[in-house]
Amino acid sequence: MTVIAATNVEALVIFAIVLSATLVITYWASKRMTGAEQFWAAGRSISGVQNGLAISGDYLSAASFLGIAGLIFIFGFDGFLYSVGFLVAFLTVMFLLAERMRNAGKYTIADVLAFRLRERPARTAAAMGTLTVAAFYLIAQMVGAGVLVQALVGIDFSLAVLITGVMMLCYVIFGGMLATTWVQIIKAVLLMTGILVMSIFVLERVGFNPIELFNRANANTTDASTFSLGPGTFLSSPIDTVSLGIALVLGTAGLPHILMRFFTVPDSKAARSSVVWAIFIIGGFYVLTTFVGFGARALLGEEGVAAAGTGGNLAAPNLAQFLGGGEGTFGGDLFLAVIAAVAFATILAVVAGLVLSASGAVAHDIWSNVIRKGSDSEHEEVLVARIAAASIGAIAIVIAIVGGEGLNVSFMVGLAFAVAASANFPALLLALTWRRFNTAGAVTGVLFGVVSSIVLVIISPKVWPGPDAEGGALSFYDLANPGIVSIPLGFIGCYLGTVLSKEHGNERQFAELHVRSETGLGAEKSGAEAEREPELVA
Amino acid sequence: MSQADPRVDWEAIERSPEFQELITKRKHFVLPATVFFLAWYIGFILLAGYAPDFMSESVYQGLNVGYCLALTQFVMVFVLGVMYLRRADKVYDPLAETVVLRALSGRAEPPADDAGPEEVVR
Repeated sequence: MTVIAATNVEALVIFAIVLSATLVITYWASKRMTGAEQFWAAGRSISGVQNGLAISGDYLSAASFLGIAGLIFIFGFDGFLYSVGFLVAFLTVMFLLAERMRNAGKYTIADVLAFRLRERPARTAAAMGTLTVAAFYLIAQMVGAGVLVQALVGIDFSLAVLITGVMMLCYVIFGGMLATTWVQIIKAVLLMTGILVMSIFVLERVGFNPIELFNRANANTTDASTFSLGPGTFLSSPIDTVSLGIALVLGTAGLPHILMRFFTVPDSKAARSSVVWAIFIIGGFYVLTTFVGFGARALLGEEGVAAAGTGGNLAAPNLAQFLGGGEGTFGGDLFLAVIAAVAFATILAVVAGLVLSASGAVAHDIWSNVIRKGSDSEHEEVLVARIAAASIGAIAIVIAIVGGEGLNVSFMVGLAFAVAASANFPALLLALTWRRFNTAGAVTGVLFGVVSSIVLVIISPKVWPGPDAEGGALSFYDLANPGIVSIPLGFIGCYLGTVLSKEHGNERQFAELHVRSETGLGAEKSGAEAEREPELVA
Repeated sequence: MSQADPRVDWEAIERSPEFQELITKRKHFVLPATVFFLAWYIGFILLAGYAPDFMSESVYQGLNVGYCLALTQFVMVFVLGVMYLRRADKVYDPLAETVVLRALSGRAEPPADDAGPEEVVR
């Protein structure tokens, strides 16, 4: 059941097809590149359904596909806990942020803060939150890409990271948000099709009876197995489970590349319908992941664990090979190649979204509004955005290659979610809802959130003094997931900064933000609308 | 950011009854729904963390309590999502439109005998 280390020809061919299709899209999008609104918001021309697919494509990383299927394969129920958190998170996004972001923002989450707070400190703080999240998430995805492509296609780790990085930069630099959106849509369709076909193949083996699947999965274990249909095998510390759960459900509402997608639709109505589309696509996906995960356990059994690699990441591709007829058969190799290509497309779509949001923080927030104070031309803003994207991408490629396979991917993704939930989410939510909130509160809150997440992860038992050592840096603190401490700290920072500073929020600006975020009055128009309608209040 | 448009009296719009009605109606759904989904979700996570034996109990053969409760989370997300979407289309959007129309026509404060958005809603 080992995935062949030698170059997999079928996989290379399918990879080439996927890559060519995305490059054609990028070329098409580059012809439509007109300015900053096109670069970051695709001219606000993406429909609700398209954006729902693109959100799914932006959100479902390789960790969701290969990672969760692998965790379910090795540990059982605990893998599914992640899925539940990842999905429920969209209610937070929908109820608290999606429409308000669309109505109040322009290109980045910092726009919403800068609307009513002192521009330069607020933007700098928000850009720092965005860049921290994007950096950890991006490096994690790049390392994951390298490991997977190396294992699945047989090309070298460094080369795999390089190819991923170059493709990602092509989409973003030449095609901006429009190309990124369509890469994400194609990826979502490929991923859903791939996992649906796999699920049908799995269910066919158990007479389309999911309960029989659970029975067989449970039976296919040995004394050495960590697998269980119940919880507690992977997440063994209850308080850590709760901490992780809270970070997942609030963190999504602070992920800059997800929130940025709401700027691409014409109005708040499309923003909320896109969340509902995303909910059904992502929810359906996570239910199917359990069929793949439990199916891998039922069909591959304990012998498949060694072949599935660290964290069981290769369980899904191995299962595909098995379902296609097994190693060495044409069907087996082909199905493996298809699933490998789907996994690759999955990574590309996520990293492109991340680089785009990071370029917004650097070019739109820091360069255009903090350094140049809005005096730069739109042409300059887009040029700086492209340079920023190239630099961020290059740095991520170098760190991923130098850090190599030794970088702990799951800890970096956990950290990204913790920072998003503890720094970005409190500041955004309070800026939109708390009249008294001020600049000092936003800056303190973001600082508290970012610093506490990072420090708590560094002193956690998994990281300090090393993965194999017993206990963390502090004897009384042994959480692997900082959320339960760092999220309240983020909110406390926002509160203390606000009440301890003399600055009073500008009432009139809050009134404007409040009305605008709730009704869409004065919101950024879509390209088509702006031509049709005169400016607000003729 | 000094985006404030001097020609619009944002504070008057914010005080206007139709805007207040919009945010009150939205709050009446979003607040309880948020409390409910967070409670149901955190309850599930607490059970998974602290009551693994209960979660592992069989409902029917290999199907256990944990998987069933996880599925209820999925159902909750789908149902609340669609409920919000429908309410927003039927209730909040017409109200928001009224606010915008009044503001654009320079009548942030409507006459008291105005039909109001109640009729629009139902």
